[in-house]
Amino acid sequence: MMNMRLVRPARLVDINAVPELSGIAARADGGVTIGALTRHTDLVVSPVVHDRAALLATAAAHVGHRAIRNRGTLGGSLAHADPAAELPAALVALDATLVIEGPRGRRRLAIADFFVGLLTTALGADEILVAIDVPGPPHAGWGFAELARRAGDFAIAGVAGIARPDDSGRCRDARLVAFGAADRPVRLRSAEGALIGTTLSDEAITRAGAEAARECDPPDDVHASSEYRRHLVAVLTEDVARAARDRRAAAAGSPCR
Amino acid sequence: MSLITVRLTVNGRQTERAVSPRRSLADFLREDLELTGTHVGCEHGVCGACTVLVDGRTARSCLLFAAQLEGAAVTTVEGLTPAEGLSPLQTAFHECHALQCGFCTPGMLAAAHELLAENPTPTRDEIRDAIGGNLCMCTGYVNIVRAIELAGARIRGAR
Amino acid sequence: MTRWVGTSVPRKEDARLTTGRGLFLDDVGRPGLLHAAMLRSPHAHARIVAIDTTEAARLPGVHAVITGADAAASTAPIRPLIPTPVPLHDWCLAVDRVRYAGEPVAAVAAVDRATAEDALERIHVEYEPLPAVVDPETAIRPDAPLLYPDLGTNVLWHDVLSYGDVAGAFARADGVLAERFEIQRYASTPLETFGAIAEYDAGLDGYTFWTNDQRPGLTLGILAESLRVPQARLRLISPDVGGAFGNKRRPAYLLASALLARRARRPVKYLEDRIENLTALMHACNGVMDLELAYRKDGTVLALRVRDIADEGKNLVSPTQHNLIKLGNLVNGYRIGAVSYEAYSVLTTKCPSGANRGIGKPFMCFAVERAMALLARRLDVDPAELRLRNYVGPGDMPYTTPPGAQYDSGDYPATLRRALERFDYTTWREEQARGRRAGRLLGIGIATSVEPAGTNLASYELITGRRAASGSAEAAMVRMEPDGQVRASIGDPASGQGYETVIAQIVADELGLAPAHVHVERGFDSATTPWLYLSGNYSNKFSVTDVGAVIGAARKVRDKLLRIAAHRLEAAVPDLELADGEARVLGLPGRGLSFRELARTAYADVLGLPPGEEPGLEARHAHQNPLAQPVGPDRRVRSQLVFSNAAHCCLVEIDRRTGQVKILKHVVVHDCGRELNPAIVEGMVHGSTVHGLGAALLEEFRYDEGGQLLTATFMDYLKPTALDVPDIEVDHLEHPSPFTPLGAKGVGEGGAIPGPAAVANAVEDALAPFGVVVRSLPVTSERVWRWLRDAPPAP
Repeated sequence: MMNMRLVRPARLVDINAVPELSGIAARADGGVTIGALTRHTDLVVSPVVHDRAALLATAAAHVGHRAIRNRGTLGGSLAHADPAAELPAALVALDATLVIEGPRGRRRLAIADFFVGLLTTALGADEILVAIDVPGPPHAGWGFAELARRAGDFAIAGVAGIARPDDSGRCRDARLVAFGAADRPVRLRSAEGALIGTTLSDEAITRAGAEAARECDPPDDVHASSEYRRHLVAVLTEDVARAARDRRAAAAGSPCR
Repeated sequence: MSLITVRLTVNGRQTERAVSPRRSLADFLREDLELTGTHVGCEHGVCGACTVLVDGRTARSCLLFAAQLEGAAVTTVEGLTPAEGLSPLQTAFHECHALQCGFCTPGMLAAAHELLAENPTPTRDEIRDAIGGNLCMCTGYVNIVRAIELAGARIRGAR
Repeated sequence: MTRWVGTSVPRKEDARLTTGRGLFLDDVGRPGLLHAAMLRSPHAHARIVAIDTTEAARLPGVHAVITGADAAASTAPIRPLIPTPVPLHDWCLAVDRVRYAGEPVAAVAAVDRATAEDALERIHVEYEPLPAVVDPETAIRPDAPLLYPDLGTNVLWHDVLSYGDVAGAFARADGVLAERFEIQRYASTPLETFGAIAEYDAGLDGYTFWTNDQRPGLTLGILAESLRVPQARLRLISPDVGGAFGNKRRPAYLLASALLARRARRPVKYLEDRIENLTALMHACNGVMDLELAYRKDGTVLALRVRDIADEGKNLVSPTQHNLIKLGNLVNGYRIGAVSYEAYSVLTTKCPSGANRGIGKPFMCFAVERAMALLARRLDVDPAELRLRNYVGPGDMPYTTPPGAQYDSGDYPATLRRALERFDYTTWREEQARGRRAGRLLGIGIATSVEPAGTNLASYELITGRRAASGSAEAAMVRMEPDGQVRASIGDPASGQGYETVIAQIVADELGLAPAHVHVERGFDSATTPWLYLSGNYSNKFSVTDVGAVIGAARKVRDKLLRIAAHRLEAAVPDLELADGEARVLGLPGRGLSFRELARTAYADVLGLPPGEEPGLEARHAHQNPLAQPVGPDRRVRSQLVFSNAAHCCLVEIDRRTGQVKILKHVVVHDCGRELNPAIVEGMVHGSTVHGLGAALLEEFRYDEGGQLLTATFMDYLKPTALDVPDIEVDHLEHPSPFTPLGAKGVGEGGAIPGPAAVANAVEDALAPFGVVVRSLPVTSERVWRWLRDAPPAP
C-alpha cells in the first residue's frame, strides 16, 4: 500500500522488536494465546496451534506464499481487516478474544465486535493489538475451504467453521464464517441454524449451503461477480460442514469437543 | 526527512548505514550496498524476484524497510554464492537449464534454499509450493522444479 | 565435422546469472545518475488544458522537468514503423491530448526515484475529459469519438485480401461453419521492466543510451530523427536483458530520458515500475474475428473467410502488425485452397498494442483450431482425424499457402501422431468416457500450429503501398584475438535465449575449437557490434538470419586462418584442417600451428603474412535470408520465412461445482528443424507453452467503459505460477529447413501460439455434454460455472 503511495503515514513505528508481542502459549482451558506479532509461518508449524486450533493453522497455510507467511503477522492480518483474508475468518469461527492495549490500559474485545467494515476495525488510533486468545477446549469438528483464482491469492470466497456436538452426537453449536463475501468476515447464521440439532446429515449440509447462499450478499469485483461468490459460499459451506463432520467422526473419543 | 541508522549483518558482514526511513530493503541492498543480484520485478510483493533471506527465512525485500532490520541477518544471492564456483543449487540450476533471462533466479534460489534447508527430500508438489510465490516468465518452471529436486538429492547424498 | 551444434552445451551465461553477477539495466551505474519518473494521464481520453510544473521544479533534489510542449519544441515527431494514411504527429510526451489512461504527460529527473515521484505530485494538470472509446467495434462506427480528428476515423487500415476462388469454394461446399471468436488483451510481461539510461555529451552534442530495447537498429534511427542528431553521434548499449518477448520497445521513453539528461546535464535513468509496465507499455491486441469455413461432408476444408478486427489501442508505432501476421498464418497447417481476409486495424483509447510472443498468431490459431474442433463435432469425426485429413502433407513441402507463405519443411501428420502417442490419446478417450458416466468432466484438447520465423518487412507494402524497409537480415562479427581465442558479437541482443552459448557452439564448429574459447559479447553496443536497421531480438529470427551472419563471419576468419597457415606451413589450403585449436596438415601428424601462433602472425608478426594479406583476424558478415522477396503482383507475399510446427494435447478436469479448470497433462510435440542446443530448445518450449496456458486461463487486461484498466498490478493481472501449470511434456521431430544455414527454425513462440487453443478445446470437450462453445478467453472458473448453470438439462 505504501509502495503504491495509497497509504502515506507521517509516522511509522516498527513494533517488530517488542518481544512481548510474539509467542504462542497454551492456555489452561485447552486453548491458546497467540502474540499479535506471531508470523503466519509459526502458526503453520506450531504443534500447540496445530493441536489446539488446527483451523487457524490450516487457514494460515492458505495465506499467500511462504515469503509472505514468514513476515505477515496474525495481529497485522486482523488489524488490516481485509475482508477476503483467511485468518480473521478463522478466528471468528474460533470465537477468539482480542487483547488490545492503549494509553487507557488493556481491554479485551470479542472478535465478533472487532471488524466494523472494509479495512476498518474497532481498534482506536492510539491502540494496538497485543494478543489473541483462542478459547479451549479444541474443536474436533472444523473445516476450512476457499477458492482462489490461483493458489496463494486472496480467495474469491471462503468459509471457515466449527461444529460442536452435544452428548447425543447432534450438533449443539456451529459457527460458520464466510470471507470474501462481504465487507468483513461474516457469520452465516441461517446456515448454522440449518446444522444445529442435526447429525450433520448430507441433507442438513445441503440445506446449510442453500441458507448460506441466501443470507450472504457478496460484492462484485474484477475477479468474480456477486452471483458467483454467492454460489461459492454455498459450495464451500457444504465442504466445511462435511469436513467438520468427518473430522469429528474420526476424532470420536478424543478430548476435543 | 531525517535518517535512521541501522546496523545489520548482510551476507555475514556487519554493516551500519544511515538510511532514509522510506528506503526499502531492496533499494538499500541494490543502491547503498551495491548488491545488485537482488532484482526488483513488481514492487508490490507478488513476483518474488526480490526475495532474500532475513534471519534464514525468505522475505520480499521490496516490502520491508531497511530501517526495520536492526540486528537482522540478511542473505542475498551474493551470500548464497561460494567464494569459488557455484553452490549445489546453483550448479543444479545450470545443469538443468533452470534459467533463461536469469532475472527471477536470485529469488528462486532464495526460496529453494529455504525449502531444502528445512526439507532436503521435497516432493515435486512441495517444490512447486515453495516457489509458488516466485514468477518466472521464461522457463515454465519445469526445469526449475527439476533443478531443485536434483540439488536436494545431491545435498542428501553429501550428508 | 560438426561437434558442438546439436548438443546441449550448458549455458555460458549461467555462471553470472546464477550468482547475481549479471548486469541488467537497473544495475548499470553512471556518475551523477539521476532517476526519472513520469506523470501519467488518469483519463483515457482528455484534452490537456494546462500544465503547471513550477512547484515540482522547485522541489529540492529535482533537476529537470519536461512536458509535452517541451518535447514538441525540441524534438521531431516519432517516426512510425508503419505510416498512417494522414501523417499523425506523436511525441514522447502527450501534447494537447491524452489518448489512454497511463499516457505520459510530463517527466521529472531527480536525485532518486522517490523524490522524482514526490515531484510528480506537485505537477498540476488541467484536463478536459473527452469520451473514451474502448470497444473496437464501437470505434469503427462513424459516430465514434475520434482519437485523431485529423484522420477522420479510428480505422488505420481496412482492406480485403482474397486469394483463390473463395466464392466458388463456398458455393461448392457441403456446409459452412460460421463462428465468432474473441481474444482478450494480454502480455508476456517480462520480469524485468523496460527502461533506459540516457547520457548527453554536451561537448560532442551526442547521446549514449543503455537500454533493454530489443530492436536497437530501428530504435537508433528513430532516436536520431527525433533528437535531430546524426546517427554517428548516438550510441546504444544493451546489457543483460531480463526477458523481452516483443514487449520491450518504447522509443518515447528513451527520448524523454534524453531530453531530461540534456536539460539536467547529468545522466538520467528511467525504468518502468510494474504498474506502468502493465498499464502503458504494450499489450497484445484484443480483437474480434468472424470466421467462416467451407467444408465437404468428408471433412475437407475448402475455403476460409475471415473478418478480423484488431484493437490497437493508441498504437501509432506498429499498427496492422497483428493483422498482417495473421494473414501469413491464416490457413495454419492446412491445405485450404482459397482464403479471404478482411482486416481492420482500429485505434481505441487504451494502452498501445504491440509485439508480444507470437503477435496475432495465438488468436489466429485459436480461431482456426476452435473452428476445427467445432467442425469435428459437427461431422462427428474425431478431432485428430479431421486434422489429419486436412494437413499439408510432408510430400507437399515446400508448400505455398494462398496468401503466399511458404511452409519449408516438416511432417505435420507425424507431429500430431507422435503427440497423440505421447499423450496416450486412446487411453484418455476411454478414461474420459468412463469418467463421464461417473460424473467426472474430463476434456481433451488438441491444437496444432505452424510457427513462423523471420519477418519480411517488405510485406508492409500491402498496407502502405510503398516499401520503406524490406527483407530479413542480421549482422555479426567474429574476431580471433591475438591470443588465439575468439570473440563474437551480433546485432541481436539476447533476452534469455542463450545466444552466448549457441553462437559459441556455431563458431566452435566453424573454426575448430571448443566453445569455452569463444566469448560472445553480452547484449549490444552500436559502437562495436555490427548492426543493420533490421537488427534486433524479434520475430523468432535467430535461425533465419543470425545463424547465417555468424557462420558467414566465422568462415571469413576461417578462410584467412587457412591462408595464413598454408603460407606458414608451406602447404596448400585444401591440405589443411582446423581442429582442436590448431591448423594441421592432413596426413602429416605433428605438422601444424596453433591458433595462438597464427594469431600472433596476424596481429604482431605481420611480415609473416602471405603477400597482400591484410593484418588482423576479424570479419563481419551480414546474412540476408533469400526467402524474403518483394510483394508479388497478386498481393501474395512471404511475410514470414520459415515454419516450425507443433501439436499440443491438453487434458483438463473441471470441477462441476465450482467451475474450476485444472490442467492434468499437457504434451507438446514440436519440430523446429535442426535443434542447435536441444536443452535450450526444450526450455523455450516449456516457457512459451506456459505463456499460452496463462492466456487461456488467467491473464486479462480488463478495462471499464471509461477506459480505466482494472487489472494493473500482479495481484489483479494474474500470471501463472508453478502451482498453476503441470510439468509440460515435450517431444520433438527434426525436419531441417532447406532454407536456413544449419537447418534450424524458430522456437521461441511455438508454445504460445497453440497453447490457448489447446486449453480452450479441452475445456469445450469436457463440457461437450452441455453443448458449450468456448468463444473467448480466459476460461475462468466463473465462466465455466455460468456455462454449466445455463446449460439445458442433459438429455
